[in-house]
Amino acid sequence: MARLHLRERFKDRDTAIFGVLFLGALVFPIVTMFATGSSALIAQAGHAGTFVLLAIGLNVVVGFAGLLDLGYAAFFAIGAYTYALFASAQLGSSPLHHSYHLPFWLMIFVGMFVAAAAGAILGFPTLRLRGDYLAIVTLGFGEIVPQLSYNLPQWTGGINAIGGIDQPSLPAWITGPWAGANSISIIQGAACRVIGSGTSFAPCFSFGFDPIAYYALVVIMIIAAVILVGNLYRSRLGRAWMAIREDEVAAAAMGINTVTTKLLAFAIGASFSGFAGAYYGASIGLVSPDDFLFIVSITVLVMVVLGGMGSITGVIVGALAIYFVLNTFLPALPPFVENLANNVGLGFLNTQNGDWPGLAQETQRINFLVYGLILVLMMLLRPQGIFPSRVREQELKHAAVNEDEAAVEQVHAS
Amino acid sequence: MALLEVESVNAFYGRIQALRGISIEVDKGEVVALIGSNGAGKTTTLRTISGLMHPQSGTVRFDGRDITRTGPSKIVEMGICQSPEGRRLFPRMTVVDNLFMGAYTRNDKPGIATDMDRVFTLFPRLKERRTQIAGTLSGGEQQMLAMGRALMASPKLLMLDEPSLGLAPILIETIFSIVREINAQGVPVLLVEQNASKALEVAHRAYVLETGSIVMTGTGKEVAASEDVQKAYLGI
Repeated sequence: MARLHLRERFKDRDTAIFGVLFLGALVFPIVTMFATGSSALIAQAGHAGTFVLLAIGLNVVVGFAGLLDLGYAAFFAIGAYTYALFASAQLGSSPLHHSYHLPFWLMIFVGMFVAAAAGAILGFPTLRLRGDYLAIVTLGFGEIVPQLSYNLPQWTGGINAIGGIDQPSLPAWITGPWAGANSISIIQGAACRVIGSGTSFAPCFSFGFDPIAYYALVVIMIIAAVILVGNLYRSRLGRAWMAIREDEVAAAAMGINTVTTKLLAFAIGASFSGFAGAYYGASIGLVSPDDFLFIVSITVLVMVVLGGMGSITGVIVGALAIYFVLNTFLPALPPFVENLANNVGLGFLNTQNGDWPGLAQETQRINFLVYGLILVLMMLLRPQGIFPSRVREQELKHAAVNEDEAAVEQVHAS
Repeated sequence: MALLEVESVNAFYGRIQALRGISIEVDKGEVVALIGSNGAGKTTTLRTISGLMHPQSGTVRFDGRDITRTGPSKIVEMGICQSPEGRRLFPRMTVVDNLFMGAYTRNDKPGIATDMDRVFTLFPRLKERRTQIAGTLSGGEQQMLAMGRALMASPKLLMLDEPSLGLAPILIETIFSIVREINAQGVPVLLVEQNASKALEVAHRAYVLETGSIVMTGTGKEVAASEDVQKAYLGI
């Protein structure tokens, strides 16, 4: 009985993908450490994790509730600045003249809450708008937030950004290989800010800039996010979101309070980016307005659409795929093309000649053309996304079979 | 006191007046038909009752409570449920999921299961197609699903907007016999129809709407017998 249950579970596509992703996440740091001997790739993976969190959050807004949000990076910025302001020396030089150093483990939830509140405040007057109009308002909001941080230098440091952001620290008994090399340098009796801002009695280790510690942290955060969002999706609220996505008028006629439900989608979606923002601030140690421009919103949206709107596994894979294309594939392309040309005897293409900048340089210039082509191709080949949500997939299958049946029946009926 | 009382309601779309001092009553156990041509204000009347729009003046009372300014979700909870114009199914959900959405405001699982059985008894066709995607049902089945979904809210008043629209004559016959059956089970029905002859056959009482005002009211038979109605709507 139990075995049957287990087998059934493994048959379930999403469970299988989650299993593969989880195993991959466990094995990845070990393999890369052995293969490359450096933690550079792990640092990149930790950065990619930020985008996975963002994609999971935006999926609630775009995939579940069907609200097009083009300014999602604004909430990300709000989360990051919330942590940066209250965990660095920044506020000391602000009109407040007092710097705060609140612990990461508290601020991560404060960041979540602040971003959710920002989502609700933005959503309240605007969610009566539909479709394109909502998209434009969110687009505007996404522009305003980075502009504010550029233009309020006394608070946000403006273009100079906020640096020297505190790193998370944990009691030493949690330490282990997953905590990275920094865990070796345990600070006896130093300020260990886990819950309060006072000194602690236990010895502590700081995350420092150790990629492994951040990697472990982001994996745990993603797992928590997946569990949360998965439960939301199956809840009553999840069904209400689905109904609104399908037909808002019908949803209202069923007794769904459409304004509250959409507001919740907005706030919950935003809260995940607040979560991601606090992590981002801590792991990079620097929060600058340049990190939250329109391109970030669009990149996350592309991850969601390409991965499969409404599917949690889909958006995770989509986020990883797009991150890989943007940060590994595209930068590696020019030298690769140059080598290729040399090897097949077309080396003359690599020399600069008049208007021709050389093959590598030319590839560099058309980088985003290649990116665009990849996106167009993927959307043409799999318009429903890499791993579409099960509901949608079944719908598409059923639709193909039943359309003919329904047509025949209509003929019979008339 | 009637179950539903609409009293001299004036409603506007922007500056265009859609309803001019309309008064309607629906009592327990009744089927009431609202007939009239396109643009007479039939759907607007339903939208006003269900809270999807609010009148400029006049009152709507249900079960003795003023619901003129109440929101649509509250009104559904109070027991007014409608099968909206154009059916408005959730096209990409299955039949069963659509029915479950109808029971969104309810929490009693056994009650929902009982009502699901009841809907399947009324519409055996839906039971056969329970796992099918709603958007791929035929027109008649979609109408059945829209009515079934409204019934899942266990309504104290069922409002049907143009249930016969776009259906083959034989299916219209089926739909109206089901309306009778639903009513026989004790659910009052407010029926909006362009197909006046069928609606008047089923209805205990009827109102005739013309450009936003009620021009005639009476029992189904009386209205059907009127010369004006015969000329204008029954094509006799």
